[in-house]
Amino acid sequence: MIKRSGRGRFIFLCAAPATILFLIFMVIPTVNVFRMSLFKRSAYSPTEDFVGLDNFIRLLGDANFIRSMQNTILLIVVVTVITFAFALVFAAILTMEKIKGQNFFRIIFYIPNILSVVVISAIFSAIYDTNNGTLNSLLSLFSGKTVAILWKGESMVMISLIIAMVWQAIGYYMVMYMASMSSVSQSLYESASLDGAGRIVSFFQITLPLIWTNIRTTLTFFIISTINMAFLFVKAMTSGGPNGASEVALSYMYKQAYTNSTYGYGMAIGALVFLFSFGLSALVNAVTKRETLEF
Amino acid sequence: MSMKKAISFLLAAVMAAGSSVTAMAAEGDVLKVAAIETAYGSEMWQEVCDAFTAQTGIEVELITDKNLEDVIGASMKAGDFPDVIHLATGREDALTETFIKDQNIVDLTDVLSMTVPGEEAVVSDKIAGGFTETSLTNPYGDGKTYLAPMFYSPCGLFYNAGLFEEKGWEIPATWDEMWALGDKAKEEGISLFTYPTTGYFDAFFYALMYSVGGPEFFNQATNYAEGIWETPEAQKCFDIVAKLAEYTEPTTPAQANDQDFTKNQQLVLDNKALFMPNGTWIVGEMAEAPRAEGFKWGMTALPAVEEGGDGYSYTWFEQAWIPGGAQNQDGAKQFLAYLYSDAACEIFAKAGAIQPVLNISEKLEGDNQMFYGIYDSGAKAAMGNFAAFSPIEGLDNRTVWFDPVNSLVSGTMTEQEWIDGIISASDQMRANLIQ
Repeated sequence: MIKRSGRGRFIFLCAAPATILFLIFMVIPTVNVFRMSLFKRSAYSPTEDFVGLDNFIRLLGDANFIRSMQNTILLIVVVTVITFAFALVFAAILTMEKIKGQNFFRIIFYIPNILSVVVISAIFSAIYDTNNGTLNSLLSLFSGKTVAILWKGESMVMISLIIAMVWQAIGYYMVMYMASMSSVSQSLYESASLDGAGRIVSFFQITLPLIWTNIRTTLTFFIISTINMAFLFVKAMTSGGPNGASEVALSYMYKQAYTNSTYGYGMAIGALVFLFSFGLSALVNAVTKRETLEF
Repeated sequence: MSMKKAISFLLAAVMAAGSSVTAMAAEGDVLKVAAIETAYGSEMWQEVCDAFTAQTGIEVELITDKNLEDVIGASMKAGDFPDVIHLATGREDALTETFIKDQNIVDLTDVLSMTVPGEEAVVSDKIAGGFTETSLTNPYGDGKTYLAPMFYSPCGLFYNAGLFEEKGWEIPATWDEMWALGDKAKEEGISLFTYPTTGYFDAFFYALMYSVGGPEFFNQATNYAEGIWETPEAQKCFDIVAKLAEYTEPTTPAQANDQDFTKNQQLVLDNKALFMPNGTWIVGEMAEAPRAEGFKWGMTALPAVEEGGDGYSYTWFEQAWIPGGAQNQDGAKQFLAYLYSDAACEIFAKAGAIQPVLNISEKLEGDNQMFYGIYDSGAKAAMGNFAAFSPIEGLDNRTVWFDPVNSLVSGTMTEQEWIDGIISASDQMRANLIQ
């Protein structure tokens, strides 16, 4: 009996620090966000007025918020699809094929992931420059006439963000997939090739199904991180401009909470984004559910 | 047993830490000053704080940073406020505006009648006329001053005087002459206009409203008077900005963000655009940048609307204020008074920061003499800004009035859409004016 209570106390003591930290730094602030979204208040002032769901109702009619949400969804969908396609293909090429300088490519692809977003935005500021930028210069070289695309102009700014975000993310996911691909047994590929399967068929029939668990996990990671990274990229590269064309949900939330003194309204956006990312992750998880294959 | 011991030890430690913190707070009247570091640098603040300590014996703890809002923001959210904050309105983070909207700043009217430490003069005798009567210093229009006017700078259109000499062009005195010059420059592949970011349109638009309709129109407009945006004066302002958008260098909106705005400023240095709205700090900000041969800074007030009309230059100034939560408000008021002393003004002026005190322009040299002499050469001074309103969800002055200029230039928004947005926002702002 004494032994059992000692064991219980031990488990309690081991779990307590993590639980307490989790409560203080995760649960309470999250609950607070939801609570504050029901008030009209500013970030620095002690007064607050309860307004019920007014903030949420106003949000639904706020054209700028709707645009920022559309931009967020656009980024989640497009950046995810492109990054995953490229990361998978590159990972497959680097693991399956014998290419000279494999490690070199692995490092080159991974480097953007080590760079901070501020550095990346400085790099892309040079790439996207209209008059002397790398991109316009290259296009001019190949097309034979002067190309002056306004990469950060209103019509192109989202595409520019997508390119930068894909460039930044590919390496990380590629390395993840390379790790799981290299654990797929070679004998499977050998027997498939005896059956006449080409490289593309074995990629879809063997590689993809066998690393599916990994893809599922990274997909959920990726959706959540895109929502967060989009904020950093927008803040560093475009400040949400021109005229709000590149505003995303979190940057709009930041503007409302801290620069427009409508903290409660900002928290309402935060609450919606929280529910949205939660729901989306659950949805993705459900849709991608397959029977786990083993070998 | 041992767990109890551990917990009581922990509690005792926390209590000890807590009491030592309160002891520290009670110990001295250390004055906490937070000042934004701008093109003027931060050394001058340290020097002024040292001089203040030498004069009054009050210790000063100084925080300066280029992103001051980020540095002091977190502790302010936790209830720990600096005693004095020096920061300009119109910044991206709009911290000063936040405190004004929340009515969370201390009334400074009594500072004006305080004696400047170390001198015999009263503060109000030192500050130049008009500076403590604007809506920037008296945001609620109740005759009380809440923000102390600091470093002022005439704003206007900056250009390459060397290029104008070389081409034999005249500085336009009216907007009609401006458009004619725009057509002439276009033939040479030079655009008439560019702007760093849309934020720079505030000073521009204020001066424009003054030159179109005079002070009365300006006051009504900045107080969102009913129907004011449908008057011929307002229409004239909108037409000028919309026409200017057509003459704007086409890459401008793509670079009008916090990261690339210097590329727009560079357009003037490279003779790719003639004019940009800016302030005197531009000289220091672009000091290291390459420039066209024979480049010489020039600055002019906004052209008059018609021949013989008034040209206006907006007087931009920064503000120092005391947040409502400041602990040492008496010390803070003394510090503010000291900022207008001869000693402080001299330290600031050495770094190029000009305090709005009487007779300062006599002490200036070089480019600054020309810039600050703009009012002597016929331009009238425009001061003030949009009246404060209690926060409205999803609505602020910059996104309504100035950000759409980017879209006007790229042609994705019509002038009428812009005006419609302003009228609807102005109605909501009027309803929320802080009385």
